[in-house]
Amino acid sequence: MSANQGKPSASENDWIRITSNDGFSFLVPRKVAVVSGTLKNMLSTESNFAEAASNTCPMSERGVIVEKICEYLTYKALYEKAPPKEEIPDFLERLAPEISLELLMAADYYDVPPPLP
Amino acid sequence: MSRRNNVRGPTSALTEFLRESGITPTTIARRARTREVPQPVAGPSNTGQDDEDGGGEGGEENANGDDEQEYASDKLDESDEEEPAPKKRKLSKAAEAKLKAKEKAKQKAKAKGKGKAKGKGGDDDDFEDDEEDEEEDAYTALSKMWKDPSKPPVGNFEECAKCRKQFTVTKYTLAANPPPGYLCHACAKASGNDPFKKPAAPKRRKPAADKRNVVHFEERRFPSLSSLCIQVITKHIDDVEALGDIGGLNLDEISKSLARNRSLTAENAQLFYDVANTKLTLYDATNLLPSAFCTLASLNPNLTDLRLDFCGRMECSVMESWATGLPNLKRLELLGPFLVRIPAWLKFIKSHPQLEGFLITQSPRFDLECMQALANTCKALTELRLKEIGKIHDDFLIFVKKFKKLTYLELSYPGVPDALSEDALIDMMASVGKGLTHLDLSSNTQLTDGFLYEGIKPFATQLSTLILAKTPELTDAGVAEFFNTWGDAGTDNPPLTYLDMSRNHQLGSKALDALLQHSGNNLIYLNINGWKAASQDSLKSIAAACPELTCLDMGWCREVDDWIVKELMEQCDKMRELKVWGCQRITNNCPRRRNVAMQGVCTI
Repeated sequence: MSANQGKPSASENDWIRITSNDGFSFLVPRKVAVVSGTLKNMLSTESNFAEAASNTCPMSERGVIVEKICEYLTYKALYEKAPPKEEIPDFLERLAPEISLELLMAADYYDVPPPLP
Repeated sequence: MSRRNNVRGPTSALTEFLRESGITPTTIARRARTREVPQPVAGPSNTGQDDEDGGGEGGEENANGDDEQEYASDKLDESDEEEPAPKKRKLSKAAEAKLKAKEKAKQKAKAKGKGKAKGKGGDDDDFEDDEEDEEEDAYTALSKMWKDPSKPPVGNFEECAKCRKQFTVTKYTLAANPPPGYLCHACAKASGNDPFKKPAAPKRRKPAADKRNVVHFEERRFPSLSSLCIQVITKHIDDVEALGDIGGLNLDEISKSLARNRSLTAENAQLFYDVANTKLTLYDATNLLPSAFCTLASLNPNLTDLRLDFCGRMECSVMESWATGLPNLKRLELLGPFLVRIPAWLKFIKSHPQLEGFLITQSPRFDLECMQALANTCKALTELRLKEIGKIHDDFLIFVKKFKKLTYLELSYPGVPDALSEDALIDMMASVGKGLTHLDLSSNTQLTDGFLYEGIKPFATQLSTLILAKTPELTDAGVAEFFNTWGDAGTDNPPLTYLDMSRNHQLGSKALDALLQHSGNNLIYLNINGWKAASQDSLKSIAAACPELTCLDMGWCREVDDWIVKELMEQCDKMRELKVWGCQRITNNCPRRRNVAMQGVCTI
């Protein structure tokens, strides 16, 4: 386990780096990243995982998949609490069929979104 | 009714019918006038107005009006079909108003004051048409004067209702209040009304649909990314190219993902179909209808291995089509084929003598006759599972004995828990026990320690998996004795790799020590769920005794605590899953390790 970087990493406003397996990295706010159950566990301060200490989550997916996952997480974080009257854009049209199978498996693994309690 | 000639244009069937029944525009108009009830103004329908207009004008012996009516009633059909866009409607109204205006001009020439005599029905229409009229040309403007029956024509002389003076009616003349009569300009002004005030714009009626205020209590559900992906996949299911390189991906993983979302449908199941397929597994076939199962057979004719979970909608017709449609099938695993009846089972079994694996769970209809057919037809059977079969009883075992090549045998959770007697099971073991590597007799409540001594010990030679869950007659001392003496002279069974004796509440430390002694070195999976009496020392020794352990269920073992978990984490390098449901002594501080899934830690 790498050494903690001086300060605790639990603050709400910091950024999480998500890296793909082909060298891309994406920065998202913590509150966006924790929409995914798997990422939430990775980043949980209780777990003592390296991810929590470094605020970096490696995803073993291609960059294009990671990008789409980040896009969905942001979309979900933004609109989940939206008032009922607000128009929510359809995410479906942003999904290209070429990546849908790969994305399905990734989404399944990363638990997006986590099941209801 | 008189006509100048008898030439009639084409009319609709409805008009023809109405005419034959004596219902003509004339009669309608007459009735409308005599009734004196204002026309209900609810619907924005065009047709009613057309009718009314025609009626109102063609009222008195007016041939012109009659023609008009026929024209209008033809439109009645049309407007029915093309329930109009608002713009269109307006246009037709304007045209109609023009027609009206023309006609009125003629009428004016013939008989003055006829406008005044117009029936009430006409009024309503005029009111509705007001807005349109405003936008129209001067030609129509003339008709406006005529349309207001309460007012004399402009230019007429009238006597003022108040001062009794004669005055000229103008556009601004007001009616007296209270009626009847009209006021001259001076009196109108004196009474406080501004004659030059523009009439308030008539309220535009809203369509009824807009008025309703429906409150939705439905909570908006946010679609998950998985479900969105599945939608895309389903949409493009026929377009294999669009879905990218499927071959490079693990189809089985996709199948699992679809199953987890319970979204495998007849459409997207095609993703997994291929003529060359020999193996197919669908983890959740809940949404597949019988026809989809038949499609499955015809699109995968070369299957040798088929597993379908939750195939509850499968019925006789499916089994019958599989009898011919899947000629090469060797292994069939079904969860929940409730609806398949005896004749269908028989037909399928008899058409597949080469069957090697027959594994079914939950069938209330699979009976002795089917079992007999299976034994007589499929002599090469190596795997047999009859789990949760409602009609299972001792006689089934006579036929189980006939399978000489069995390696995998599961007769668990019978419909009646004590349906299978211990003696019959021992007898069966004598015949098939030698070859078995997997034995599952869970929830056969008649099993006692005696079965271990007389059924397993003498006959089992290659057993690696033993599952005896929920067999509450087993005793701690008996099981301990069995494991201590298994491997003595005359019994040469290798240590077990998979042992499940969960929910046997009498078992405890002695049995645990003995089984660890016997199989500990090889155990990969151990389930001692519910061994409430197992002592702390015995539980602690699991870690040292089982170096290969990957999965352990210690649920409801009361003595389990953080220290035992610590031993396991430190010593069992291959551990992947640890279940500790109901272990009250475990705290939040219990040691964890990466890659070990710990389930059931519940602390207050």
